[in-house]
Amino acid sequence: MTAWEKQASRRAIWFLLPALGMLAVFVAWPLIRAAWWSVTDADLLATDDAHWIGAENYSDLLRDPRFRHAFLNTALFAILIVPLQTLLAMVLALWVNRPEPAWRWLRTVFFLPVVVSLPVLAVVWTLLYQPEQAGETGLINRLTSVFGFADRAWLRDPSLALPALAAMSIWQGVGLQMMVFLAGLQGVSREQLEAAQLDGASAWQRLVHVVIPSLRNTIAFVVTVTTILAFRLFVQPYLMTRGGPDDRTLSLVQYMYETTFLNLELGRACAAALLFLTWVGFLTWLQRTLFNEEKS
Amino acid sequence: MTPCFLKIPDGLKRYPLVGIVCWLAALVGAHAAQDVRLRVWSHQGQEAENHAVREIAEAFNAAHRDRGWTVELSFFPDFQYTEKLAVAAAARDLPDVFDLDGPLVARFADVGLLKPLDEFLSDAERADFLPTILAQGTVDGRLYALGSFDSALVLYYDRELLARAGVTPPVEGQGWSWDEFVKACEKLKTAGIEPVALHMNESADEWFTYAFSPVVWSAGGRLIAQDIARVRGELTSEAAVRGVRAWQELFARGFAATDPVEPDPFGQGRVAMDWSGHWMARGHLATKGDRLGVMPLPSLGTPAAACGSWCWAISAETKQQEAAVAWLRWVTEAETGVVPLVRANGAVPARRAAFAHFPEYEQMPYALFRAQLETSARPRPRTPFYAMLTHRFAAALRDISRGADVESRLRKAEEAVQRVIDRKRPTKTAEASRP
Repeated sequence: MTAWEKQASRRAIWFLLPALGMLAVFVAWPLIRAAWWSVTDADLLATDDAHWIGAENYSDLLRDPRFRHAFLNTALFAILIVPLQTLLAMVLALWVNRPEPAWRWLRTVFFLPVVVSLPVLAVVWTLLYQPEQAGETGLINRLTSVFGFADRAWLRDPSLALPALAAMSIWQGVGLQMMVFLAGLQGVSREQLEAAQLDGASAWQRLVHVVIPSLRNTIAFVVTVTTILAFRLFVQPYLMTRGGPDDRTLSLVQYMYETTFLNLELGRACAAALLFLTWVGFLTWLQRTLFNEEKS
Repeated sequence: MTPCFLKIPDGLKRYPLVGIVCWLAALVGAHAAQDVRLRVWSHQGQEAENHAVREIAEAFNAAHRDRGWTVELSFFPDFQYTEKLAVAAAARDLPDVFDLDGPLVARFADVGLLKPLDEFLSDAERADFLPTILAQGTVDGRLYALGSFDSALVLYYDRELLARAGVTPPVEGQGWSWDEFVKACEKLKTAGIEPVALHMNESADEWFTYAFSPVVWSAGGRLIAQDIARVRGELTSEAAVRGVRAWQELFARGFAATDPVEPDPFGQGRVAMDWSGHWMARGHLATKGDRLGVMPLPSLGTPAAACGSWCWAISAETKQQEAAVAWLRWVTEAETGVVPLVRANGAVPARRAAFAHFPEYEQMPYALFRAQLETSARPRPRTPFYAMLTHRFAAALRDISRGADVESRLRKAEEAVQRVIDRKRPTKTAEASRP
């Protein structure tokens, strides 16, 4: 290292300090506090009175049927969401990836639900899913009845509630992923596409052999982000089903919220949050590893 | 006239720095000696109510200027207010005085966050409060909170719609037995009129516990054995199950909507009866006039009514006890607090002395509100585990209204609650399981 470089790296500390300070105060410190509380029996209203109880919160959580239930619900939600939303986002991106201004409108339309506040959408979709009551029926039931399906209480039926929430969430979130894919599509090499076309490759062959391989990083990013967002599910079930019917839409984050603010078990909630963090971290690592392996 | 501490002595003018320092010290000293700023938090209600609270605070400040007491009010949105209080408690940053929902008093009192109020209240003052207000604020024999107003839950009905179906309402002030209620629903349904609105679209869990606990109580059941914090066997007691089964029948037989869309189908004239509270009285009177009738909730045995609302409490850690007590007194005193608040929000006055200001309490439906609070109303369970209990009970009721098996769904709820109680209270529940 030259003297100049040494000096530069010494100076860099000062430039990094504000950011590091913020990270320490708003990320590291809360995380350390949470880790400490997670090994105590802390009560939210009486944190001073916390006692060390070792790994009890963790072992208890892993045995808690309600926690496992919340985990399975959330995992099922992610399994429904991630492939469908990624695929749909890619299809939409390919569709609207045209230079004419008219297509810009369509892009805006698809992106709109991302911008609108989620609680507002939750209310709107609750009305859309409304089963027939006193002569009034939600739009979705009216649509399905055109095709001869019986009226359904989408959000009240234990087997339909989670898929119904997933459908709404895909509609809400797909615009964001579409934008990421659109950005990725700008990086696909025109020369390669033209070369493939000259060689007589069909549109499908160009998609499979040129476009998708160039989008590998984008796909990895979208899948990872969608997974994380899916596991953070909270607003939709909290407002639309309150975790019901029969706890079928109880999500991990709602479990943590209940544990903190209804049960006041701060220690246990922190343990759940750290387990959640570990799990999401593990998934992210797994996905990155898999995508990298395929690449090599 | 300039206060003395603002005058700078001539001798000090020659030494400006010393002068400024002394002057500042005097200012700070004078400030500390006189000024007491009382931090008061309140949930954000309807705008009229917030406005009333602000005016009450201004009147309080004006009346206590000589003591230097100033109330500093902060409002927080209703739906996150309880969380806000919990976080403030965790950070040991509770305000001097705050309001909280009645059933949550026990959890704050349980961890010693509230100052007992008994010593600040004379017997005469105590006797002027409605019994429900005292019951709501009392935990383990000590009073921790006082409200300015209470709530009432009744069965409104439309005389014309009942008459059209050939249903005779009970004598004024009397309620139906459950069987009579079900028979009336049958007749209405046959006549093509939707019998009763139960407001199942209400998003807050609290509606379910508030509105339908009386069904369990009137059947002879309870939600929790409060003293020993036992829920197991209570929600699934024979009485509780009988009550909830009777309630489920209302949906199964199509007497009440499980997923209503409209907030006020009774006011719209589509439903004959409304299982609702004092807050609808003004609106219903305006739309129905003489057609409006009111009766207590139908009973499965012992008549039971609901009560409870927001109430004021003082933080145990306040350093301004005198001012805090003065504020609590001011806001729950008939003239200074209760009357302006009740004018604004239409709730039931908490003080007997305040009823003189509201002539409507001579007549129905208001007379029934007061009568119920004086006789048959019960506060919701006063247990530190209330928040969790109400959440699980409400979830169970939602599922049951849509056809879930009553006993097994209630068992699931009581198990979930009991598991948490057992975790948090190993000693108390061990005692409880002893025969």
